[in-house]
Formats: sequence, structure tokens, C-alpha cells
Amino acid sequence: MPELGTPALVYAIAALIVPFIRHNTLRQVFLLAVPVFGLLVFWQLPYGTYGNINLMNMHVGLMRLDALSYVFGLIFSLAAFLSLLYAWHVRDTIQQVATLLYAGAGIGAVFAADLVTLFVFWEGTAIASVFLIWARRTEGAYATGMRYLIIQVGSGVILLAGIILYYRETGTIAFSQMELGSPATWAIFLAFGIKCAFPLLHNWLQDAYPAATITGTVTLSAFTTKLAVYALARGFPGTELLIYIGVTMTLFPVFFAAIENNLRRVLAYSLNNQLGFMVVGVGIGTPLALNGTVAHAFCHILYKALLFMSVGAVMYRTGTSKASELGGLYKSMPLTMIFCIVGAMSISAFPLFSGFISKSLILSASADTGYFFVWLALVVASVGVLEHSGIKIPYFTFFAHDAGHRVKEAPFHMLLAMGITAALCVGLGVFPSLLYGILPYEVEYTPYTTTHVVTQLQLLLFAGLAFAVLMRTGLYPAEFRSVNLDFDWVYRRMLPAIVGGIRHAVTSTWRFAARVTLHRVDRMMIGIYRAHGPQGPLARTWPTGSMVLWIAVLLGMTLVLTYI
Amino acid sequence: MMALIETNLPALQVVLPLVAAPVCAMLGRGSRSWAFATAVSWLTFLVALSLFAKTFGGTIISYEMGGWAPPIGIEYRVDVLNAFVLMIVSGMAAIVLPYARRSVAAEIPAERQSFFYTAFLLCLTGLLGVTITGDAFNVFVFLEISSLSTYALVASGAWRNKRALTAAYNYLIMGTVGATFFVIGIGMLYMVTGTLNMADLAVRIAAHGDSSTVHMGFVFILIGIGLKLAMFPLHLWLPNAYSFAPSAVTAFLAATATKVAVYVMLRFMFTVFGFDYEFQAATLEMVVLPLAILAMFAASLVAIFQDDLKRMLAYSSVAQIGYILLGLAFLTDTGLTATIIHLFNHAVTKGALFMVAGCYVLMAGTSSISGLRGVGRDMPWTTAAFVVAGFSLIGLPLTVGFISKWYLVQAALELGWWPVALLIMASSLLAIVYVWRVVETAYLQPAPEGVTRKEAPPSMLIPVWILVAMSIWFGINAMTTSAAASRGGNMLIGSSQILWED
Amino acid sequence: MTPPVSEDRKDMPLIARLLSGVDKPRNVTRIFYVLIAFCVALGLADFLYHKHSYFEVEDYPLVYGIFGFVVYGAVIFIAKGLRLIVRRPEDYYEPLATDTEDERAAGSDADATGGRPNA
Repeated sequence: MPELGTPALVYAIAALIVPFIRHNTLRQVFLLAVPVFGLLVFWQLPYGTYGNINLMNMHVGLMRLDALSYVFGLIFSLAAFLSLLYAWHVRDTIQQVATLLYAGAGIGAVFAADLVTLFVFWEGTAIASVFLIWARRTEGAYATGMRYLIIQVGSGVILLAGIILYYRETGTIAFSQMELGSPATWAIFLAFGIKCAFPLLHNWLQDAYPAATITGTVTLSAFTTKLAVYALARGFPGTELLIYIGVTMTLFPVFFAAIENNLRRVLAYSLNNQLGFMVVGVGIGTPLALNGTVAHAFCHILYKALLFMSVGAVMYRTGTSKASELGGLYKSMPLTMIFCIVGAMSISAFPLFSGFISKSLILSASADTGYFFVWLALVVASVGVLEHSGIKIPYFTFFAHDAGHRVKEAPFHMLLAMGITAALCVGLGVFPSLLYGILPYEVEYTPYTTTHVVTQLQLLLFAGLAFAVLMRTGLYPAEFRSVNLDFDWVYRRMLPAIVGGIRHAVTSTWRFAARVTLHRVDRMMIGIYRAHGPQGPLARTWPTGSMVLWIAVLLGMTLVLTYI
Repeated sequence: MMALIETNLPALQVVLPLVAAPVCAMLGRGSRSWAFATAVSWLTFLVALSLFAKTFGGTIISYEMGGWAPPIGIEYRVDVLNAFVLMIVSGMAAIVLPYARRSVAAEIPAERQSFFYTAFLLCLTGLLGVTITGDAFNVFVFLEISSLSTYALVASGAWRNKRALTAAYNYLIMGTVGATFFVIGIGMLYMVTGTLNMADLAVRIAAHGDSSTVHMGFVFILIGIGLKLAMFPLHLWLPNAYSFAPSAVTAFLAATATKVAVYVMLRFMFTVFGFDYEFQAATLEMVVLPLAILAMFAASLVAIFQDDLKRMLAYSSVAQIGYILLGLAFLTDTGLTATIIHLFNHAVTKGALFMVAGCYVLMAGTSSISGLRGVGRDMPWTTAAFVVAGFSLIGLPLTVGFISKWYLVQAALELGWWPVALLIMASSLLAIVYVWRVVETAYLQPAPEGVTRKEAPPSMLIPVWILVAMSIWFGINAMTTSAAASRGGNMLIGSSQILWED
Repeated sequence: MTPPVSEDRKDMPLIARLLSGVDKPRNVTRIFYVLIAFCVALGLADFLYHKHSYFEVEDYPLVYGIFGFVVYGAVIFIAKGLRLIVRRPEDYYEPLATDTEDERAAGSDADATGGRPNA
């Protein structure tokens, strides 16, 4: 493979070629080949920094290959391949190009050795991904995409501001570990936090992901937030603040997920909760914890994609992803159901599934370092995960009340994509050394001890028992068609209302004042202008006059200034 | 022969288009005069290039018109700063003229085209003259040459839309007011110093000491030039003039006329007045700086709500002039570098955008944004050019717009003016909105029924893409432009004695 | 809500046929008892091995099970309480949201019948 600098280039070039391939099958095969070639760019390279450029006296490195970026590059390539396979049936060029550019930007960003490259790809992910939402082509999707874009681009702008300040402070743009403290690092931290969906900055996620297309959501779930986790792990490992942010992130989405009707939004809340585990890992910052974060990101991308895929497959066949409209689908889509349950058991961290071997690293790390309440909160959150992702998703989709959908099983390519992903989830769960071998730090860890297996099963099965009891007693909350307010209410409802109020007040005051003053001035001026000016719309406007007025004002102002 | 040309390059720069103008009028047929004007503009550009190459290293060429020694005679004085501006002006002319043929053919009757090109050459002469001369009164004369021909050029849009006449008339009135203020200012300086040569003026003002006549002169020149460069809120002539002028004229004027006025402003502020007195800096800080920031926001907001593409771009120009003035008002090396580099960067970007608008006017028959629904599919190359140039206007990295913003933000931070730096970034967000509106209409909305639009001809697309390519190339490799800009800035700072710097 | 669908088991895929009837009340009760049996077994298992714990509280037998049970219930009840506060009609954010739009716009199969917009 020739040295290309960054795998992102492969994706970018492919995105340029795709629109010109007319033959459908050929195009899909080409699409699937892209992640493979992207992987080949860095697969065998020795660790180091590639694609070094000198830009305006700053050192830019397009590809930094080390243990940390390698794992993320690998899983991103895998995720790109799987989502493209899952999207085999899609004939929409815009989505295909956007997927390539988005995945490419994501991979480019994790390999960025300097902050400027990071920024470029950071914005790249924002701009490319929004087309996966707009591809739905409805008014609501457009508005949602716009909200998403503003927040994502805003994160990039804050990042850029941070980078400029950081450069002025340190004289370097290298992307390495930073200390919170100066405005520069705070700005960078905030930018990462927005993309990582920190509490109160998280709503773009639950807002946008359910609005994307079926295949688009699968793609979206992999890159943006995990890029942010990577950036945090690279820039701010061991920042204690992150522990508490992470704990909050694991806890609050649990409650929202429990009462959410839109299953893809449930998964978005669940995604937020899983990010919390990773952020806690970064915050603890010990080698074990960071390994946990990386491992959890790796496993999480797979099982979250699997869950989105299975809900997506259901949505593809039935046309809906709302719990209130679904149920009893095991009769029509049993394979999808099995894959969904594999995903659910992985995310709930059942032994022999991938979540078990990655989440326990973070839990052990928190216990090792003596954070009792953090550890406790993570155990609580684990029960919450079981609730919304482990039980709610498969139960309401495939069992529960039969909603009467009699549909075909998911198309073959979707089953294949889900099958591969499910196999990976189980494979990693059964053979944890496969994943542990590529983690950034050398740490001895055995997930399968009697204590761990038994206690984990106790936790999960007793929680399951609680579910069964609640169901039998009818205390379990039913699903309704509704939306639930979250923090986004502030900018979707409250701020517009306030702005509207202010605007109303200002315009009425202005109108009043203008009527009083302009009336007199206008009289005089209109008299003068009536003599000038030919007929026509412009004759009624007053540019010349008001310009002269402005000149007088400015002249007066400056003259006064010169004499004081 | 070559030596003769070489020694007289500064004179040739102005004389060439000046002499060519009447010849062009006599050529008659449209295409003949077009070919002639284009050839002349290329020659002029070559002259400017060689002047730039000569002065880039730091040499200053002083050329005495007719052999009369300054301060009595008229001196042409070329340094790296005005050579840079000369290059922008003549370069834009050299790019716009090839583009103009199709566009002008559609917008102006054949029998009038030779006069159009004559006016164009005169305008070029004026702009170049203003830039190159070292004589204050001569600035006024050339300013009038360029302004009068500009009025005619704007009015020639009347064959497409009658409102061009009113626009030109308004511009005439306001331009004349501005020129009058300017000449009054120069008159006051002359009263005090008895000289019109800029270098001489600088020395004598410094020697003369503080006086209210100098104050008045300063203020009048500031306002007069402020009007010419469309300093907010003296910009009211600009939107109509730009919207109703023929497309080629708009592209040329937007890229050059205001830039030249900014150059004059720089020259008078720094070289002539030189900040010997506190009040000059105070004026800049308390009048120009707030107005510049206001322009960045107010004009961008207005641009967001415009339906006409050309008018939207015109308001965006007013906002961009805000950035340029902001850099000037910082009164630092970096600030001036930002201002000067933005002269070039904005010329390239806005030139490309207005040329794209011209393509739409010609091929789609409208410049109204709502009329351009789905145009991205019918005119892919044109629209793609708009997108890339639009990125540059926003200031995304890898475009020239980013370079300008970078220097500007740096300059604000050097002074520790945090809020200003934040405002610069915030105003970029507004640019995203108005550029995006067009992109969205062009790509995401379905084309209206029964409309047929063809891609613009290569003679228009190639100039557009040359500018677009430049906006990327100089965004990645900004060595030449930033070196020229920072040398120009250094020279300006060096030629003035800024009081509070030490 | 929906009319009962006649169960023609021959149309079902093999796995579905094997599973069919799990949602009959009788079978659900059976599954419930199996789950209880598992839980009891796991509870007893706690006495059969030596626990490696980080914190003292872990050493009590069955602590994980009780914790899981209680927390699960708590999550559900808190969520129900939360719902009282945050629940709104589905068209609350109209028209700038996708909540009530026809979900099939997200790229569903042409045969899909669900996803009707909320009237």
C-alpha cells in the first residue's frame, strides 16, 4: 500500500468517485471496498507520525499511529464496513457519499497528530453527518438536522477558539495531554464535551439520531461520540472532573430511557449512558481505566450498532420504531430478534458477551482507586442499562402485546451485517484476549472469575425478576405516543419564547419611538426629496438623504472627539 | 527599448489604460473593443506584476511625472503595499474582462458595448492612478475619474433593470459628497502645510504641530474616504449600485473599488497623518472600531434576509469591510497585516461570488435566491464554485477567508481584546447562515416546473474557477500574500510615529 | 386495539414456530418460575465460593441480587414519577420535529404499513 498520509484520503477520493458509478451492485461493492482499503493504509505500518506538513510555521501531522489511535482506527474502519453492508439496499447517492465522508472524517480525526488537523476533521464529521439526517427529506428532519448542525459546528468553533488560544499559550499545536486551567484548555474541553454529549450538552444526540434515516442512525451511532471519547482520552486523561461528569451521564439517561416511546431514542439515551462509563474511565485515568475506556468504546460501537441495526430492520419492515406500535414480531422476524437479544445481552454485560469484558475493566478501575460512590453509581447504572436496552428494547419489539404486524424477515444483507456484528459481540465476550491484546496499556486482567460471574448474574437476573414482578403486577409503565421534555426544551421552547417576547417588546417600543421622531424628520425630508428622484420604487426609499444625515452625524461625532 | 519600458513602468501602469480608453471607443463593434480592452488589461496586469516583483523585496520606486521633481511635480511612488493593491486591481480586471464578454453581450446592446469597455478602462485607470500616485490632489483627480466612469458603468445596468438609473444617480450624489469632503480635507491640509505631495505632507504635518485645521482636515478625509469605501453606516449607496450594475461591473467593483479606497485610507492615516497626535488614534478607536464591529453584525444580518443574491453579497461586502476596518483600527502590525491580506483575500472571494451571481443572471435569468431553487443540478460547476467561495467567505480552514480571520483574531488577542476576538468568530456564524441559505436552495430544494437552465459557458466558468482555485491555493500556501501584507503593514507602522506604542 | 390475527403457524419461519406460544399466559408463568428458580440457585451459590471483594458491603451473601432487585424497582418508580412531569403530547414540538411525521420517510420498505403519522 503506498503511503497516503491518512486513511481519510481514501474515503474522500472514494466519495468523489461514487456518484459516477452507475451500476448499483458495482457501486455497493466499491463502497464496501473503501473501509478495507482505508484499513490497509495503516494496518501494517509501524507506529509513528505520517503525513508531516509545515503549514504557516506550524507542524501538522496527518496520521499519528500509536496504540490508542490504532484501536480507534481499527474499530472505526470495522464500523464503516458494517454500516455500509447494512445499507446495501440504499440507492441514495447523497447518503452514500455522506457516509463515506463522515467515516473518513472520523478516522482522520482519531489519527490527527495536531489540533488543526483535528479541527478540520472535527468539523468534517459534523458537516458530512448532517446529510444522514436530511436524507429523510421531511420538514421535521430538516429542522432537526439544522439544530444538530448548529450544535456540532458550534463545538468546532469553540474548539478552534481553544486551539488558537492554546497555540498562543504554548506555541505548539501538537495534540497531546493537556491540563485544565487556562481558557484555552477549558474551551477545548468544552468542545470535546459537546460532542461527547456531557449532561446538559447532550440533547443533540437524542434529538438527531432518531431523526436520521434507518441506515444513517447506524452510521451515526459509531463515530461522533466515540471520536469525542478518544479526544478526551488523548487530551484529558486523569481529569477528576470527568469522573463526576461521567457518573451523571450514566445515571440520568436511565430514567428518560425508561419512559421513552421511540425505541431509537431509547437507544440514543442508552448511548449517552454508555458514554458515561467511558468518560468515568478517562477521568480515573489509570492504565486499567483507560484500557477499560478503549475496550468499552470498541465493544460499545459493535453492540450499539447491532441494536440500532435490529431496531432499524424492524423499522424497515414495519415502518415504525415506536414501542407503542410494535410487539409480537418474534413471529415474523425471529433472526432479527436473536441478533437483537445478542446486542441486548452484550450491552447489559452478561457473561460471555462483549459488554461484560469491557465494562468490568472500568468498574474494577473505579473500585481499585477507592471511589466507592462512583463504583456504586456505575453498578446502579448497569441495572439501568439492563432496564432500557437489555429488556425494554427486545421485549417491546418482539414480544409483549402483539401489534399485528405480519412482515417478512429482514433482508439478507441486513441479516448478514447483524450476524457478523453479533458474532463479534459473542466472540469478544468468549475470547477477551483478542481485544485485550490490542489495548494501549499492558495490564493483566481476568474478567472471568467465579466472584465476578456469579455476582454479575445475580445483579442481572434479580433485576430481571423485578421486571417480571412489575409486569405481573401491572406496575410497569405502559408505552404511550408522547414526547418527554428534556433539557432541549430550553432552546426549543423557552429561548424562542423569550426571544419572541423581547422582539415584540423591542419592536413595539421602536415603532412607538420611530413614529414620534421620524414623523417630524420625515415631513421635512419628504418635502426635499419630492423634488428629486424619478418615479419608481427607489424614489420612495431615502438612501441619499439618510446618508447625508449619517455623514453629518459622523462628522459631528468625530469633530467633538477631536476637541475633547 | 526594454530599459525604457522598465524605467517608465509606473507611468505605463496608468497611461496604458488611459490611452487605450479613447482608442477603445473608436473601435466600434462590441467584440473588437472587448478584445482590445482585454489585451490592455492583461498588459496592465503584467506591468503591475513586474512592479510587485520589483518592490516585493522592499525597494521603493519613486517616479517623477514629466521629470518635475516633487514636491512641485507629481510623484508616483510604488512600494510593496501599493504594488500589492495594483496587482489586485489589474489582476481582477484581467480576470473579469474575459468573463465579461458573454455577460455584457446579454446585458448591453451591441452598439453601446464599445463605450462600456471604454468606461471600464477609464475606471481601471482611475483605480490604478489612485493607488500609484504619491500626490494628494492627484488622488482626488483619479478618484473622480474612477468614480465618474463607475457611475456610467452602474447606469449601464439600466438595459436590464431601469432601477440601475436611480442606483447610479444615488451613487453619483453620495460619491460626489464623499469626494467633496475629501477635497475639502486636502484643501485644509494644503492651507496648513502648503504642499500636496504625501511624503512632504507627512513631514510638514509632523513639524507643524497640533492645530484645529489639521483636525478638521483629518476628519473630512476620514469621512470622505469612509464614504467611498462604504464604511458602515455610509454604505447606503453600495447595495443598490452592486445589485443593479451589470454583472461584470459588480464583480470588478466589489473586488477593487472599495479595496482601493481602503488603501487610500491606510495611506492617509499612517503615512500622511502618521498618528502624531492623540486624537487620531482616539477617533479610530472610538468611531471606526465600533462602527466596524457594528458593520460585521448589522450588515450580515441584513444579508441574511435578502432575497436577491447580488444584494445579499453586497451587504456581505459591507460586513467584510467591517473586518478590514477592524484590522486597521487595531493599529498594530498584525492588525494591518490582517487588513492588507484581507484586501486580497476578499477581492478573490467576493469576485468569484459575484461572477457566479453573474452566471446565474445570464443562464437562469434571475439572481433572486428563491428563483435559484434546484439550480445545483442544472448548473453544477457554477454552483460548486459558489459553495467553495462561500466557504472562503465564512472563513473555513484551507481557504483564504480563514487566513484573514486568523490574523484578525491573532491581532485582537495580541491586544488582549477578548470580546472583539469572540465577536469576530460570532459574526462568522452569520456568514454561515447566509451562505447556507443559497446552498440549501440550490441543492436541497426541487427545481421549479418547466424551467430550463444550462451550465454557464466555459468563457465564464474558467475565470470563476481561476478565482476559486486562488482562494484555495492562497488559503493553503499563504506565504506570498502574508509576506507582502506583513511587509506592507510594517512599512505603514514604520512610516508613522505611533505615540503610545512605546 | 388490533383485531386478533389468525395464527397460521405454517407461514412462520422455523425459529418462530419453535418459539410460538411463549407469550401465552401459561407459558409466561412457567418462564417466571424458571427465572425464580435461577435466582434461588444463584443466591445459594453465594455460599459455595470465596468472594473476592473490593468493598466490605460486597461480602454479604445475596447483596448483589437484592441490590439489583431494589434498584430496578426504584428506577421504574422514579421514571414513572418523572413521566408525570415531562410527558407532553407527541406533537408538542411541531412542526420542527420528526415525532409525528410518517416514520417511513426514514427509508422503510415500500410494503411497510406502520409508522402512520399521529392524527
